[in-house]
Amino acid sequence: MKGSSMPRNHDVKDLSLAKQGKLKIEWAGRNMPVLKLLEKRFAKEKPLKGIRLGACLHVTSETANLMLTLKAGGADLALCASNPLSTQDDVTASLVKDFTVPTFAIKGENKKTYYEHLNAVLDTNPEITMDDGADLVSLLHKERPQQLSQVIGSSEETTTGVIRLKAMEQDKALKIPVFAVNDSATKHFFDNRYGTGQSTLDGILRATNVLLAGKTFVVCGYGWCGRGLASRARHGSARRCNRG
Amino acid sequence: MGAHVVVTEVDPVKALEAVMDGFWVLRIADAARVGDIFVTVTGDKTVISFEHMQKMKDGALIANSGHFNVEIAVAELEKRAKSKRQVRPYVDEYTLKDGSKRFILGEGRLINLVAAEGHPAEVMDMSFANQALAAEFFVKNKGKLKTQVYTISPEMDAEIAQLKLAAMGVKIDTLTPEQKKYLTSWQEGT
Repeated sequence: MKGSSMPRNHDVKDLSLAKQGKLKIEWAGRNMPVLKLLEKRFAKEKPLKGIRLGACLHVTSETANLMLTLKAGGADLALCASNPLSTQDDVTASLVKDFTVPTFAIKGENKKTYYEHLNAVLDTNPEITMDDGADLVSLLHKERPQQLSQVIGSSEETTTGVIRLKAMEQDKALKIPVFAVNDSATKHFFDNRYGTGQSTLDGILRATNVLLAGKTFVVCGYGWCGRGLASRARHGSARRCNRG
Repeated sequence: MGAHVVVTEVDPVKALEAVMDGFWVLRIADAARVGDIFVTVTGDKTVISFEHMQKMKDGALIANSGHFNVEIAVAELEKRAKSKRQVRPYVDEYTLKDGSKRFILGEGRLINLVAAEGHPAEVMDMSFANQALAAEFFVKNKGKLKTQVYTISPEMDAEIAQLKLAAMGVKIDTLTPEQKKYLTSWQEGT
């Protein structure tokens, strides 16, 4: 079996960032009332008792709150990043130190480490996997197919991942049941439109500090993300030209 | 935010919707000449090619918010630019052969997570409620599921929305028995 050389319980940047990370996790949790309701129910009913769950998600303070909900439900967790640059290193520190969630993610990790981290999660032999972009599921199918029989299902967070999974289904290459979280109305109507719309502008503004007023802002793609972004960037009154 | 927004699309229905939403819809090759800031959110590759970048104004900012770093031809730009330097965190300045500059934000990876903190908690609340319920769904239906792509039931979707509304203190109406009956019948007209 192909494995990784990672230490079994975690690989994060700096555990001394845990205090700041914990505050961030608590801050995000204040605005996640639905997840908190589920966490309470899960703590009582333990629907995931003893289930090994491997997650490959953007390791942010919001994701940390999902981990706490799953943990409350009794799951044995392992978490890695679904993008080499999206990890919040203070959050990973707190997940390991304060909440004992095995976490493998470092912001800025190279491609090799990125895949070592994915493999470290798969080394825990997950029965449920959670993806944001279908990297874990495709690694399972391509390089660790012997583990597929123990997977009872995998959920997928994003449009790109669902497209990949539907292509696998079409090709009859898909060997496990998957759940397209992205296709829920309560996901893409809100997360993709309002979430991506606002946070994309936030990223551009933090990186550049440019003034958007008066600029010509080109949005390539008018799916849910594009709609949200275009409507947030726009002029108060619409302006259309036939230049170009 | 006061920007003039241009939309590029390949789907005629979505393009028409963008036009009627009041956006200026152009082909990317034409948009390249007029834009100051470019953001890809398509999920497909090479949406902004090196040729598009060549047509852009000196100083154009280019970012991606799609899942993978494939939407902007950064590798091609890297190869064909005269020089490259990092001028701010997550801002790389590329100088083309004619001396003009293009700025790539966050190496063309999803800028909302690279340079900011990703989606706010209020929306991830619902996305992750879906994730947690998906995990429960797998356990409850262990051994009964086929190797296919499942989606949420409309009832469960509505339940998540109802919980969110309750948390936000928003109350909504429910259909009366008379209204419900009307919606499922065809006999009544004017």
